[in-house]
Amino acid sequence: MAFSVAIRNPALRILFRNSWALGVWLLLGALLLWYSTLIPVFGPFQITSITKNSLPLVYLAIGQAIIVISGGIDLSLGALLLLSNVIAARFMAGQPLPTVVLVALGIIAGLALLNALVGFIITLSGVPDIVVTLATGYIWSGLALWILPSPGGGTAPEMRWLFTGSPSGVGGSYWPPLLMLLIPGALVAIWSRTTRVGLSLYAVGSNKTAAQLAGLDVRRAKIVAYGIGGAMAGLAGLAMVALTGTGDPRFAIGANATLNSVAAVVLGGVALTGGVGNVFGVVATGVTLIMLNPILIAMRVDSNNAQVIQGVLIAGVMMFGGLVAFLRERRS
Amino acid sequence: MSSESRVVRGRVGKERSLQRWAAENPLAVLAGVFVLLFLVTSAIQPGFFSVSGVRNTLLQAAPLGILAAAQTVLMLTGGIDLSVTMIATGAAYVAANQSPNGAAIAILMGLLVGLIVGSMNGVGVAIFRVNPLIMTLAMSSILLGLFTAWTQTVLAGSTQVAPFIRMLGGGSWMGSVPYSVVVWGGVAIALIWLLRRSGWGRLIYAIGDNETAARLAGVRVWQVRLSAYMLSGVLSAIAGILLAGRTGAVDLQLAGAFLLPSVAAAVIGGTSIFGGMGGYSGTILGALILSVLNSLLTFLNVGQAIQQMVYGSIVLALAWGYASLTRRS
Repeated sequence: MAFSVAIRNPALRILFRNSWALGVWLLLGALLLWYSTLIPVFGPFQITSITKNSLPLVYLAIGQAIIVISGGIDLSLGALLLLSNVIAARFMAGQPLPTVVLVALGIIAGLALLNALVGFIITLSGVPDIVVTLATGYIWSGLALWILPSPGGGTAPEMRWLFTGSPSGVGGSYWPPLLMLLIPGALVAIWSRTTRVGLSLYAVGSNKTAAQLAGLDVRRAKIVAYGIGGAMAGLAGLAMVALTGTGDPRFAIGANATLNSVAAVVLGGVALTGGVGNVFGVVATGVTLIMLNPILIAMRVDSNNAQVIQGVLIAGVMMFGGLVAFLRERRS
Repeated sequence: MSSESRVVRGRVGKERSLQRWAAENPLAVLAGVFVLLFLVTSAIQPGFFSVSGVRNTLLQAAPLGILAAAQTVLMLTGGIDLSVTMIATGAAYVAANQSPNGAAIAILMGLLVGLIVGSMNGVGVAIFRVNPLIMTLAMSSILLGLFTAWTQTVLAGSTQVAPFIRMLGGGSWMGSVPYSVVVWGGVAIALIWLLRRSGWGRLIYAIGDNETAARLAGVRVWQVRLSAYMLSGVLSAIAGILLAGRTGAVDLQLAGAFLLPSVAAAVIGGTSIFGGMGGYSGTILGALILSVLNSLLTFLNVGQAIQQMVYGSIVLALAWGYASLTRRS
């Protein structure tokens, strides 16, 4: 978050600038620690289960974070997840490995292009992001339903191994899902903070006019951001098919995934006004949101109450953030 | 622009002036779109071009129109409410549960649910400055959990609404004017008057347009925000009770499908999602257009997949058309 205080020591400054992201990682660590005391055995099985279950949301949240940082918001990401999920389930079932890999790469590239086109439409039409993506969300989930009218299909054992750590999707080793969680997150996070294009997203998100006057290509930034969002949604759909072993075109799944991705992004310290925050924090909040479920189950909380608690926590954390910002404003 | 257009003559000039007329009267264009869609629907389903066709369209549009009213007020302040459908469902559930105690109590309790939840949203957004998207999203999740748990405990019992509510939601006055449309009309008149003529309405536009300027001018921004969220809660509750009356019984999926259309109706009607621009008359047309579109797609019998794609494409096309019309002016 933005601080006006000048801090000389560079290491401290980096810590201070990323205090929110650091905070959510500490929170995740504390939750993990707490969870490990709640259940009798805490080992690789739990780590596998938590990481693999959080993959779809984390991917979606990373994509959403990049789009929000560039000053937009994408309500169609969940529908793109559905689209990726059903294409994978329909065209991967029973196919040899090369075909499966081709389908996977095709999905990621195709959805990246598709969503880049949406970004282009947004810049071209001047219609707010939220409206355009609301409409395209309907189109993509309709398309998903058309491709796979009812739940079904399947995927290759290798795909399941990549995202879940075991060819059958049950048990398995924890390092494939953990790597699949950390590598894309780290790549996007570093890309967005070090490359010219990545930094231009921050510039455009924080002040579009200023960025344009400074000579940045505002259109290109938006199109790139939406393209990355599409690619991450494609990855999320692949993780989903690896997790469940089937494709499911239900509209509600996509809508929920979209809303959760927005929640993860905001909790991760990315401001919906754009230009603020980073992807590191979002990865932690994505995992945290998924981890609440097993924790509450371990505490023997009924699933309806668990939903209430999750909502209260989201609202509570945001209220706390608002209060802190307010107090800081008063002090200065 | 003006000197340039004076030079341009003939066909180009005529097109420009037509465009300018459309830009100055976007509501007339929306009404044209509505009439066009209605005629297309009538061409596909001949029985639709009748009093009962109009009646059905209005009956479908009333709950959506009232939910979109809640959305319009909040969007004017620069906010949004993603919990409208859960508030509507919750209010309907409470109204059904209280129906054995009489319709008046049932309706009042239902409205009270809306007021309470709306106030909580308002406190979060106006006082703690939580982003409205997140606040109402969290609230929606809380409500879903609470009501799912409560349906087995405190709200166990009647899921049938009182006859009066059923008449309100599905019945008609003199056989042709649905009561729910009368309710919608009342809400519409009150809201349009409030937004256009009352001081409160001016403040809604003011804080949506420029919050800092409004605050510096002495507006107590948080009070206006809070009242807007309370109003949104009550409006959602009204819509929920009407929906419950139409179906006769309640369940937790009662209003779920209306969330995105409620935002879409306000947006198609020209209310800016960033606040300060728009109004309820456009939203009414937006709700009507979406309802006719729904009937059209149902009559076409093309399956849900194509329906969703066409629905999304038309919403996008309308929003795009509206933006390109109004931007040129």
